Amino acid sequence: MKKERSKKYRLIQGLRILSQTIFFFLFFYLLLGTHFTGEDYIGRVEIFFHFDPLLALSTLIASRAVFISFLLAAVTIVMTFVLGRVVCGWVCPLGSIHQFFSFIFKKVKLLRPKDTGDKKLAWKYYLLIFILVGTLFALDLVGIFDPLSLLYRSFSVAVLPALSYSFEASLGFLYQINIASLADSLAQFFENLALNATFRQGFFMGAIFIGILLLNLSRERFWCRYLCPLGAFLALISRWNIVKLKIDQEKCIKCKLCNIHCETQATPYPEDKWRSSECVYCFTCSSICPTSAIEFPVAYVPEKIESVNLDRRKLILSSLLSVVAVPFFRLSPSLKRASPKLIRPPGALAEEKFLQKCIKCGECMKVCPTNALQPALNEAGPEGIWTPVLVPKIGYCEYYCSLCSQVCPTGAIRALAVPEKTKVKIGLAWVNKNRCIPYFLGTPCIVCEEHCPTSPKAIKLVKTEVLRPDGTIRTPAAPVINTDLCIGCGICENKCPVADRPAIFVTSIGEDRSAQNQLLLPLLKEDSEIFD
Amino acid sequence: MKRRRFIKNIALGSLILNFKPSLFALKNFPDLAVIQGDIPGLLTREAVASLGGIKRFVSKGDIVLIKPNIGWDRTPKQAACTNPKVVETLVELSFEGGAKEVKVIDNPCNQAKRTYLRSGIAEAAKQAGAKVLFPNKHRLKKTPLKGEWLKEWLVFSDFLEVDKIINVPIAKTHSLSRLTLGMKNWLGALGGNRNQLHQKLDQAMIDLAAFFRPCLTILDAYRILIRNGPQGGRLSDVKLYKTVVAGVDYVAVDAMGTTFFGINPYDMPYLRLAQQKGDGEINLDRLQIEKRTV
Repeated sequence: MKKERSKKYRLIQGLRILSQTIFFFLFFYLLLGTHFTGEDYIGRVEIFFHFDPLLALSTLIASRAVFISFLLAAVTIVMTFVLGRVVCGWVCPLGSIHQFFSFIFKKVKLLRPKDTGDKKLAWKYYLLIFILVGTLFALDLVGIFDPLSLLYRSFSVAVLPALSYSFEASLGFLYQINIASLADSLAQFFENLALNATFRQGFFMGAIFIGILLLNLSRERFWCRYLCPLGAFLALISRWNIVKLKIDQEKCIKCKLCNIHCETQATPYPEDKWRSSECVYCFTCSSICPTSAIEFPVAYVPEKIESVNLDRRKLILSSLLSVVAVPFFRLSPSLKRASPKLIRPPGALAEEKFLQKCIKCGECMKVCPTNALQPALNEAGPEGIWTPVLVPKIGYCEYYCSLCSQVCPTGAIRALAVPEKTKVKIGLAWVNKNRCIPYFLGTPCIVCEEHCPTSPKAIKLVKTEVLRPDGTIRTPAAPVINTDLCIGCGICENKCPVADRPAIFVTSIGEDRSAQNQLLLPLLKEDSEIFD
Repeated sequence: MKRRRFIKNIALGSLILNFKPSLFALKNFPDLAVIQGDIPGLLTREAVASLGGIKRFVSKGDIVLIKPNIGWDRTPKQAACTNPKVVETLVELSFEGGAKEVKVIDNPCNQAKRTYLRSGIAEAAKQAGAKVLFPNKHRLKKTPLKGEWLKEWLVFSDFLEVDKIINVPIAKTHSLSRLTLGMKNWLGALGGNRNQLHQKLDQAMIDLAAFFRPCLTILDAYRILIRNGPQGGRLSDVKLYKTVVAGVDYVAVDAMGTTFFGINPYDMPYLRLAQQKGDGEINLDRLQIEKRTV
């Protein structure tokens, strides 16, 4: 028996790695490009999401609305239908990362792949059912588990900020060892990339992401094998694809090397046990086969197509679990009465609609020029975890910027033109007179008024009689808010010199997107005069 | 005897040096040049020419730092930042004067990248050959300012490591100092909690201006912001004033600037203080002013 690996499949494997590299860098390039580049309007840096049929489907069901950009997902569906899960093996940047780490772990012998028959393959299908049944009740949890959302969120909120921190630290080091000119140019370069470096949950997001990567220590591409709901979705539609595995029985020496090294546990050997829908077409089996026995001939029809055994009872159970979970997600008071801290980006839909559409991908958080948008923890209830909230103490909404609304892949933040955006109210500023320097000390300070971006300014300075701590009376100019003009951008809170708890702060009341969260009767609003 | 001769030489030498400017000066330059016209770049060029040309201020091989106001995310028409054409012309002039390198830098209030790009200053200055630098917090240095009130603050060392500094503010209204002209512009050279300086802004402005002591101040009053300063927003906040002022006495430049808003320089507390301190002249009648239209 001639022992020789297949040259053809080794070449295809090389092409696959090339394709993965290209798509990973495309992802990374688009993500890095998700910032203000000098133009008011940014291109379609979020385009990856629109090829994701799981996001398309769940957003469609949860929000009961069609979002035109998601038509691109049809490309993925057709491709998977015809060719199988090539998107998982050749395109998905998260898949590539997992494969890369699996490769590294194998090289350093931390991961010893084996021919395993474990039953966990079905998990991802149960998870998929759990998510999709939830969307029937307008509960959109897809963003937590969708591979693209997970990847973008982890990179935007944890990986890039950590890199940015390391850049800063190494710059500091360069200055210390007096390589100032190099450090200067690097500093200018990084400033240009506008990496946001401050995220409240950055640590946890990072921990989750690293945790998921470490799962590869246990099984190759653990996430893709057992957890990925998009993979499960694609598997379901890939059953009838035209590229099937064929083992040349005469050449096969039954070494099972293919089973050991199969990245997604599709068990190539024996042929009739091969799970077509689990195969991601990485061509590892056909290229490592010592006798070139494995082929993927086009239009070969095997006698039997094996697929993952889904336990009907478990399917019903996961659907029921989802149904039961829905009310628990709705116990939070956040839908009953507005939260003061729930300041949504401009263009965000009304809260209910917003939650049905937001996939927690973090694109808005990445693009925000001031790092203002942060992943929510409890502001929006359990449904709204990791959705964007504006935290004025960290950043403010830049007046002439509507980038977050442009990069939102699902329209949870409605795309706004810049002039339109400057009119959108996202909250209202309040002065805490007990902490405001003029009100409390009689000392001049006009920082909030100076930074207020509207014209006429929503913050006016009015001479106010103040009893100072020493008993004397002064009449400094002190800030008052015009509730009609204030758009809630939060720059006043951000720049307030009272550093720890700013003396001027923004809450969500008055936000345009809500009919209930309003200070004054609309009728009264029309009466009140706008003073210049 | 040797020592006596030595002292005599010194005395003689210093006598000559003392009279040198009047002995060698070819022309008596005006204190202020106030140039009016339609083209901001030309106004700048003529204003500098009136003061004796750029060679009076920039020497061969100098590293020149130009400090415009790039404080806000606003376009040139909104008149919140210095006119990019004025900055561009100053970069060109500096090179004509023999500058080895020209840097343009400011520490803005909004995101640096947005202000630099949308103000048009980054592109204009780069085109003229300047290095346009984002403020880099690693380059902040605690610097003794030797001011009467402001003793020390974090200053971007870019401002400390140059031969000449040219200040190019824009004329705007401001709620606390009433107007923001040249002396207020120095807050853009600082880092740290500079928002706290507003608690005694007049004194801070005086101390900062005396510390940075620009070799030349060019006040851009091509478009001035007459309300809702220092950011403006609506085009109706802007008045087309078509003027550029140049001067060595930065106090005098600011004093001239107040008149564009119908304000008497003596009504501006910081200018009165600066005059009392002897930093410059605010009585416009005592200044030699060259007014021209081009």
